[in-house]
Amino acid sequence: MASLLKRLFLIIFINFIDQNIALLFSKIFIIIPLTFLAFSYYVYKSDKNISPLEAFSFGFFVDLISDSYFGLNTIIYCSTTYFINQNANSFKLFSYLQICLFFGLSASAYVGFSQLIINLYNFSYVTLLVSSFANIIFCFFIALIASYFPKRLSIKL
Amino acid sequence: MARAAPTPGQKLSFIFFIILGSLILYIDITSNNFQSIKNGFKSFKISSFYIAKEISIEPLKSILNFSKSKSQLAQENKNLREALELSYLNNYLISKENIFFKDKEIIKKAHNENNYKFEYDIAYLKSIDPNMYKCCDKHRMFIDIKQNSDNLFVESIVFNTEGLVGQIIDESKFYEVLLLTDISHSLPIKLNSSEFFCNAKGSGRSEYIICTYNPLVWTKEIKENQIFYTSGLGGIYPKDIEVGSVSSVEVVDSTQTNIEIKLLANPLNGNMFGVLRY
Repeated sequence: MASLLKRLFLIIFINFIDQNIALLFSKIFIIIPLTFLAFSYYVYKSDKNISPLEAFSFGFFVDLISDSYFGLNTIIYCSTTYFINQNANSFKLFSYLQICLFFGLSASAYVGFSQLIINLYNFSYVTLLVSSFANIIFCFFIALIASYFPKRLSIKL
Repeated sequence: MARAAPTPGQKLSFIFFIILGSLILYIDITSNNFQSIKNGFKSFKISSFYIAKEISIEPLKSILNFSKSKSQLAQENKNLREALELSYLNNYLISKENIFFKDKEIIKKAHNENNYKFEYDIAYLKSIDPNMYKCCDKHRMFIDIKQNSDNLFVESIVFNTEGLVGQIIDESKFYEVLLLTDISHSLPIKLNSSEFFCNAKGSGRSEYIICTYNPLVWTKEIKENQIFYTSGLGGIYPKDIEVGSVSSVEVVDSTQTNIEIKLLANPLNGNMFGVLRY
């Protein structure tokens, strides 16, 4: 229960940061879906497979707090969870570079799909392209920080 | 430790939940069935934010103000600012110096013929998502109307000190305003000459609306910086209110030309609004 609450508060907190930085980055055509990346990282780092119900519930909750259409994050979270669960063991053979590329490109797919749903009339390939680069670089940056971050301070979910 | 690959049962569950999610998404896009849940959550969020602010920040602020013997001054300052914003709104609506109406004489006529009601209610901004306003198609705002009577405000127009902002579409704890730039919003407008009329749809971009017309029907050239006014044909907005000016004209093909109009008013400027029942 405490673990679930901790995850929910983390999602709310990251979503709050996500919404605040979105305004800043939207001026330079960049969308970094922090909440999605955080959830993907949680699924990736988890010792056991994340159940579809959990992915569905988290997606639904994110839809509610981010004021997007219900079902939008739900579908993406379920699909990503399935994909990561399916390839969890293969990821262990991959380098950091490949994993960063995977997460960066998944974030770009998220941006593309969500823009198609919520911003169809002003869909911008520039935003998609620039966001892809930005997301990949962001993942590299996080991976670099994680390498130098003291393990003792990491949050146990 | 190795993680087991999803079993066929788990795969089926994933497929089931993805289909369920798609179904919910389809229902949410095509209907307003989840609107009450979203509005309820927004009300809860806004109320909790204000309660949390009242409990945590406001006492600290008041202590700080008290310690500096400035609390009274701060209150006075707040009252004065509200009074000033109110006077701006009043001036905006009735002053002959403003640009609210195309014809300044209309105010005199309106008073004589009782065509327009200049009674309006004051509303305060409760919430607007600037991210959605800057990036996406859905542009909404929530306002709190200071009123003494139980008037109905749905379909009332909302303006600020710069011009028209939108119309009220829903009434719950707070009033939901459909902004002019929302893609589902349509505003009947016309040129100064009252010969060219069109429906301007929200562009989904902040401060811009788009009017589409057939150049085979209207052959005269529309130039940049020409001013557009409300035509009053929709029955929601009064006639002859300045909306904005042409920022660009795009010829899509031989039968379609898009005029991009930059609006006068930006809802992000200011916290006080006027609600006019027309």
